[in-house]
Order: sequence, then structure tokens, then C-alpha cells
Amino acid sequence: MTGPAQDSLQDLAAAYALGALSADETRRFEAFLATSPETQREVEEYREVAALLALGGPEGQTGGGSLPGGLRDRVLARVGDQQTRPLAAARATAARPSSAVWVALAASLLLAAGLGAGLVSSRGRLAAVETELAARNTTLDQTGRRLAEREATLNSILEPGVELYQLTSNGDPEPGIQLFWNRQRNQAIVHGFRLKPVPTGKAYQLWFIKDGAPVPSITFKPEPDGHAKVEHVPVPEGGKLSAAAITVEPETGSAQPTSPIVMVGALKRS
Amino acid sequence: MPDTTSRPSPADGELVARAAQGEERAIGVLYDRYGSVLYAVAYRIVGQRADAEEVVVEAFAQAWRDAPRFEAGRGSVAGWLTMIARSRALDLVRARSRRDRITASAAADRPDTPPAMGQFRADPGGALDHDERRRQVRQALETLSPPQRQAIELAYFDGLSQSEIAERLQEPLGTVKTRVRLGMQKLRECLRPFYFERGT
Repeated sequence: MTGPAQDSLQDLAAAYALGALSADETRRFEAFLATSPETQREVEEYREVAALLALGGPEGQTGGGSLPGGLRDRVLARVGDQQTRPLAAARATAARPSSAVWVALAASLLLAAGLGAGLVSSRGRLAAVETELAARNTTLDQTGRRLAEREATLNSILEPGVELYQLTSNGDPEPGIQLFWNRQRNQAIVHGFRLKPVPTGKAYQLWFIKDGAPVPSITFKPEPDGHAKVEHVPVPEGGKLSAAAITVEPETGSAQPTSPIVMVGALKRS
Repeated sequence: MPDTTSRPSPADGELVARAAQGEERAIGVLYDRYGSVLYAVAYRIVGQRADAEEVVVEAFAQAWRDAPRFEAGRGSVAGWLTMIARSRALDLVRARSRRDRITASAAADRPDTPPAMGQFRADPGGALDHDERRRQVRQALETLSPPQRQAIELAYFDGLSQSEIAERLQEPLGTVKTRVRLGMQKLRECLRPFYFERGT
């Protein structure tokens, strides 16, 4: 699918600060955010608003203002756990040896050289560990978001009454499209696999064949690994849906197919 | 015990910097200032006192670990701490939800009887206290239409995306997006004078 225009991306700032964007929207918005200092300021402000929201609940929904006895001690005990000591503290210790260490260093040039090299080395190692930890935290956050998104997809697919249809290329099982159709919601999830890349400026477009005529639906591009997933795809209501098909169209989509069908599958009537 | 020193109170950002250097006491002062706010966020999301306490403990432990990466000038320390507490609370609710689904437990979690309201501890530095902020936030929320407020609260406290909110409310996605955007704009205008102290 084509990405939203820049002005609509800016409109997502409030939802982003609330954590209300999907993983895909978050990725696109963060790419835009990196280029827009104005939007960065806007997001920061909305985060301040979000931080205040907790104070706005009715009495009884805020848990009360008095903190439970002993909680402060529990917090400090947890923080005091050596396992959670910030790396910066360890780095500061390594970077600022005590006077006793300096006396010892002065006592032996050879030892001083060895310790000095050791300090530089350990500072470098700590910096590297800190960088790696930050990168792993980022990866963990991203993985968590992806898992949450996949769980949501799985839950949607497992809802009662969801039907699965396969769209294939001349009966060849690969590449293929799976269409999970939730008739109650008139929505579908489209999952593609082993899809071939599309030319620049082009995208796959889904069509529903209703009363014998194609009804345009979403456009999408496969990921480099050949997968594609689009959720909340509206399914046309009324009339007789007989099939769904895929063509390659300009990435903005077409009102009528302009190229041959590359994948197709029949849809049963309920 | 809470910090009762009579010396001028360090700014929030300075406390985070001290925590980053390994000063545990700095976390104690941040707890005295914002523990109540974090507890309120946690309780509102998890609905149980014991779980809310665990969230507060984990949130400050994470703040301790992440203190070296806190970017002063990128929002308030309170906003940063609140965001951490919200994430941990939502994690706990999701884990609880997964566990409940697996065990097919039909018993719904009912919030404990909430404790009696007390006073939020004011910033000893003399900044706006939480009672005044709470009053202003409630007034600001009253300026929203009920659907705007509902959409914002489902996003923040239930951790739902706009698409999920639209599904839950059986409303068009565009309508939900507009409610979130306009509601947050209105809150921003009302609450700008009442933001927490900046992290600088």
C-alpha cells in the first residue's frame, strides 16, 4: 500500500505519544519523525499530556494518593540489587580510580603501564557493552511489538466464523495469497507468501469479483522475503461475491484492472 | 523513609544524572516526588493493588538501569517515568490475559477495593503539587466529548491501537483517529501550564 501523505503523518503525533499506532504505522511515523523537528516537539508535548492522564481518573480509579507502606523500601531494595546497577556507574568507577590506586601506580611504572592499559581497555569494553545493551534493548522492544502484532493477527484469524481462501497462480501453490475472511465483520486479513517483487512504481492489487465485475480493494507490496500482510481489509457487502483476484497495478491503485490476473481463488457463498 | 532534607531540592534531571552515576538515594527522591503518579498509572491499568505495587517497583528498577540513556531536554522526568510504568503495567496485563486464555479461566479480575484517597506528595522544590495538577487534568478532561475521552483512555490505559479501538467500538477507523487527535489537541491547550518539570 502507498504510505500516507506527510501531512497525515504529522496528524499521527498524538496517537504515537499515546502508543496507539500499529507496528506498521509506528515504523512509518518514526521514519518521518526523524526528519521533522517540529513533529518531535509536538510528540514531546503530547507525551507530557499523556503523563498527566493518570491524575484525571475518578477517585478510586487512581489507587489512592497514599502509597502503600513499605513500597519505598521495596523500590530501593530492588535498585540496590547489584544486578541492576547502571553501567555508567561501573564506568565512572573504572574511569576515576581512588588515590590509593594512584599511589600504587606511582610505586611501579611497570604496574602503572599495565593498569593504565587495563583501564583504557576496560573503559572500551564497558562502552562496547553499553552500546550492545542499548542495541539489544531496541531489538527487544521491536521484537515485543512484532510479537504483540502477530498475537493480535492470530487472535483475529482464530475468531469463530473466519474462513480461509487460497488465491493461487494457475493452481501452483507458490506464490500464494491466503484470505482470512471474517464474514461477521465484513473484513479480511490478506497474507501473501513467496511473492515475486513488483517493478518500481507498481504494487499488487486485490480485487473482489462481485456480481461478475471486479471491485477494487487494497494495494500492497511484498517484503524482501516475499511476505506481505494487510489487515482490516473491507469486504464488499451486498451482491454475490464469487472470487478474489490479484493483478499488478500502479502503486496508487486502479479503478479497473489494467493487467492480467496473477493469482485468483473462488469464494464460497455463506 | 522519605527524604526530608531542608537543602534546596535538586532538579529532576539532576536526580536522574545522579542515579546514572550510581547514587541510589536519587531514586528515593524521585520516588518521593512521583511514586504516587506512577502508582496511579499502574493501578488504573492493572486494577489490583499488589500488581500496581509490583509495577512501581519494576518501573523504578528500569529507570535505574536506563538512567544513563535518559536524554535531558527531551521531555520531563515525570513523563519518562510514567511512560515506563505504563509499559510495565500493560506488559503485566497482557501476560495475565495470555495466562487466563491458556487456562481458560472464566473468572474476571475485579479491581480490589481502592484504598482511601490521600494527598499526593508535593514536589518539595515548591513546584505545582499533584493535587492542583489532578484538579486541572480533571477539568481538562471534562472539556472533551465522551467519545473523545473514551478513545484516549482506551489507547492510554488499555494499550489499544486506534484500529483496535475502532473494532472494539464498532466505529470507523477515521472517526477514532479524529477523536484521538482532536481530544489530545484540546488537552494540550488546557494542560500546557501544568506539565511536569522539564528534564533539563
